[in-house]
Parts: sequence; C-alpha cells; structure tokens
Amino acid sequence: MIQLTNVSKRYPGGYDALKDVSFELAAGEMAFLTGHSGAGKSTLLKLITLIERGSRGQIVVNGKNLARLPRRRVPYFRREIGIVFQDNKLLNDRTVFDNVALPLIVSGVDHGEVGRRVRAALDKVGLLNKEKLHPIVLSGGEQQRVGIARAVVNKPPLLLADEPTGNLDAELSDEIIDLFHEFHQHGVTVLIATHDLRQVDRLEKRRLMLRAGELIYDSGRDA
Amino acid sequence: MIKNYFLRHLQTLFFSLGQMARAPLATLMTVAVIGITLALPTGLYLLLDNLQRLSGGWDAGVQISLFLKQDIGDAEAGRIAERLRAREEIESVRYVSRQAALAEFKRLSGFGEALNLLDENPLPAVLLVRPKPAHGSPQAAAALARSLGETRGVDLAQLDLEWVKRLNAMLSLARRGVILLAGLLGLAVLLIVGNTIRLAVLNRRTEIEVVKLIGGTDRFIRRPFLYSGLLQGLAGALTAWLLVALSLALLGGPIADLADLYGSGFRLAGLGAAQGFSLVLGGGLLGWLGSRLAVGRHLREIEPA
Repeated sequence: MIQLTNVSKRYPGGYDALKDVSFELAAGEMAFLTGHSGAGKSTLLKLITLIERGSRGQIVVNGKNLARLPRRRVPYFRREIGIVFQDNKLLNDRTVFDNVALPLIVSGVDHGEVGRRVRAALDKVGLLNKEKLHPIVLSGGEQQRVGIARAVVNKPPLLLADEPTGNLDAELSDEIIDLFHEFHQHGVTVLIATHDLRQVDRLEKRRLMLRAGELIYDSGRDA
Repeated sequence: MIKNYFLRHLQTLFFSLGQMARAPLATLMTVAVIGITLALPTGLYLLLDNLQRLSGGWDAGVQISLFLKQDIGDAEAGRIAERLRAREEIESVRYVSRQAALAEFKRLSGFGEALNLLDENPLPAVLLVRPKPAHGSPQAAAALARSLGETRGVDLAQLDLEWVKRLNAMLSLARRGVILLAGLLGLAVLLIVGNTIRLAVLNRRTEIEVVKLIGGTDRFIRRPFLYSGLLQGLAGALTAWLLVALSLALLGGPIADLADLYGSGFRLAGLGAAQGFSLVLGGGLLGWLGSRLAVGRHLREIEPA
C-alpha cells in the first residue's frame, strides 16, 4: 500500500527532515510510526499525502508513483486516503453531520447516499446522536472521533493519523486507538504517527521508529 | 449525472446566497458601491442617447439651398427641379423664383424701401431641396449638396448644417469619453469584487485547507466564490438600474416642462429592456470575472501545511 525507497526530504536552508528512509507497508497492515518531536514523523505523513514533495527517492502509494502525479490529480489521489489530525481540523461553523459529509460532497456523491453513509460513519464512532451539534460543544475525545468519522466516510483503503491522541487523556486515547484497530480488522491499512509508546506496547503492531530523520528501527510485519 | 451536476450548482448558489445574507451590511455596501460605479456610465450613456434623439429631430429639417445662375429662366428652373425630383435621395424640391425671393426678402428683412431703389432684382432664383430622411445625416447631406452643386445651371449649393455637424462631433467625442469612463469603472468593479472575494478567501482559509486535504478540487473550492462574485455583480447592476431609473424619474418632470416651453414634445427616454438586460449581464460578468481573478491568485497560495 505504501512503499518508500531511499526517500529524503531537505527543506530550504539545508535542514534534512528525512534521510534515506525505506520501508514498505502492505495492504491491510497496521503500523505505528514513533519517534521524538522533530524526528520526521509529520514530514513522512506529509510526503505520503502529497502535502509536500520529497527531495529524493521514490514513494508509491496505492499503486501510484507520487513523483509522477501532476498537481491536478492530487485531489483525486487524496480521496483514497483518510487523514486524522492531532487538532482534528473540524469546521466549527458547521454541524457534525456537515463536517463528516464534506468528503462525500467534495467527491460529488449522490444526495441520498450522503445521509446514509454519514450516519453509518457516525454510528461506527458512536456519535450518531450528536449529528446536529456543532463540533465546538463536543469533548476533545468526541471531536477526535468526528475527525475519524470524516476520514473513513469515503471508505478509503488507507488511513493515516498524525498524533491522534496527542490532546487526550489515557482512557480516551485507548478508545481512539481501539477504533483505528477496528478499521484495521476490517481490512483498512492504518499508519499512526505517535509518541505515545503506551499505545504501541498495548497493541503489539508493527513499529517504525525515526530519529533525526533516519529510520533506526523496524520491527517488521506484525511483530 | 447531469441532474446531480445541476443540483450541486444549485446547492452552491444557495450556499453563496446564505453566506451573503449572514453578513448583510458588508454585502449591502459592496453591492451599493458596485451599483454607484455602474450607474455613472449608464447615466452618461442615457444622457448622450437622449441628446442624440433630440438632435436627430433637427436632422430631419436638413435643407439644401441651390442658388441658380442669373440667366436661368422660370421654365429652365422648372425642368431642373423636375430632374431633381426624380433622384432617389430627394424628398421634395420647392422652386422660389427671383420675384418670390425678392418679395420674401422685402417682407422679412425690413429693407423693403431700400430695395425699391435698385434698378433690377439682385436675388437669384432658389431651389429648396429636402433630402429623404435616410439621406439626412450630416455626411450624406453634405455629399448630396456637393453633387447638386455640380448640376448644370446651379451657381452654388449651400447646406446650413455646420452647427449640427459640430454638435454631432461633440456627441461622438462625448461618446468616446463615456466608453473610456465605462472601461475604467468596469475595471473598478473588477477590483471591488476582487478585493471582497480576496477577503472572503482569506477568511475561509482553514476551510479551504481542510477541503484540499480531503480531496476537494480547485474547481470545487472556487465554485462558491464565483457564485458570490456573480451574485454581487448582478445585484450591483440591478442597483445601478434602479439608481438611474430614480434619477430619470426625478429629472423627467422638469425636462418635460422645459421641452413644452420650447414647443417640443421631447421626453427623457429611460433604459430599455434590452439595454437594462445588457447592464445586468455586464454586471454579472464583471463580478464573476473579478472573483475568478482573485480566487485564481489566492487559491494556490493556500496549501495545507
């Protein structure tokens, strides 16, 4: 699903965020990407989602060589990836329902279909009764679950998360990570960037560790 | 598929309308500024249009005086008049004999007694030629006068049109000025809408970033902004129409009174349906274009980071 070959990212000014990183994540696999802040976790996710482009090396996601993907194809490529952010990036001027519906609206899904799929996604994250509320009145854990519902409503084959539990306490973090695990069990490829080692130990999934832009540890498939 | 497409556009239209309604004061001010900006050239255009119609009434009175040579007698003059009447450009020809001319001159000039002292009649016979309306424009009438001046037996052809020509020259200069002004003010509308949309784009930066992250195309993100630019342009043009109509209603009465005093049936003409429609269409187009330029410039700058 994700294949990195000797990928480097150098920012203007000469700072190397990633140095010669190579790994492969098979379809349906779940993995944690760990490391301290500034180790390159976020940069790696940005390269995979084409928010930024790599300086060297090759990245293939879902069969697409990102270096050869023109700018105008990027939106269609992103529809195949569900992304969850630490700050959840919800739109506070719209209801929970409208937030979750956004990816469907964007890809032009039929009107009747939108309602059905939004409710299915909200049901999965246990927020079906909150669809009419605005995200701002929800708790941090609930907001993050809305973010997850939005990421999966399109049924993407790949789910990426950048510190999804960064702002949550231990109990809520467990709930969120369990939710990702559930999607993994339904066949979705999941890659979670986190420095919450407790979660990594709890689930015993594959672990990739970055330090100063280098991949220093890879536990291999489903360690 | 096509139904879906229209449904999505309709949704965007109502979304844009909703956005405008949520900030009524800002929307109203933008629309008012566009309205005033468009009302100015529209009003000037109407003024010129009315002046043109007014002077058009005078054009119909164009008359060419053909002074005949002294040795042309009445019979000869009658034959010349007959030949002229056969020409297709000419509406009518009236013959004023030397005697008739002298009598008229005595009556109108007040030199009656003095003229009696002359041994012979110094006045030439005149053919008063009135061109058909289709040939009544200053250029056509001048050409006709030149051609008639070369007719055998005619001493001099005189077209008293100089002042109509001058007025027309001034009008065409003014028309050029209005076009120039309309161009400049159209550019102003472009900038006004562009600036409003630029602010709207920056205000919704977060939303645009999120939509880009979940796979929204530029076209999708652009659409609501294009609609609000279009709507602002349309509303501004309608406001301009209203402003012009109001001004005309205010001026119409006094102008009718003035025209009556001069014995003219002249009335101010307002904006016709076709002209009004062009104004609204132009306003909408300018709004759309201003929005398109602003969004195109700023959309690329906003990338998720």
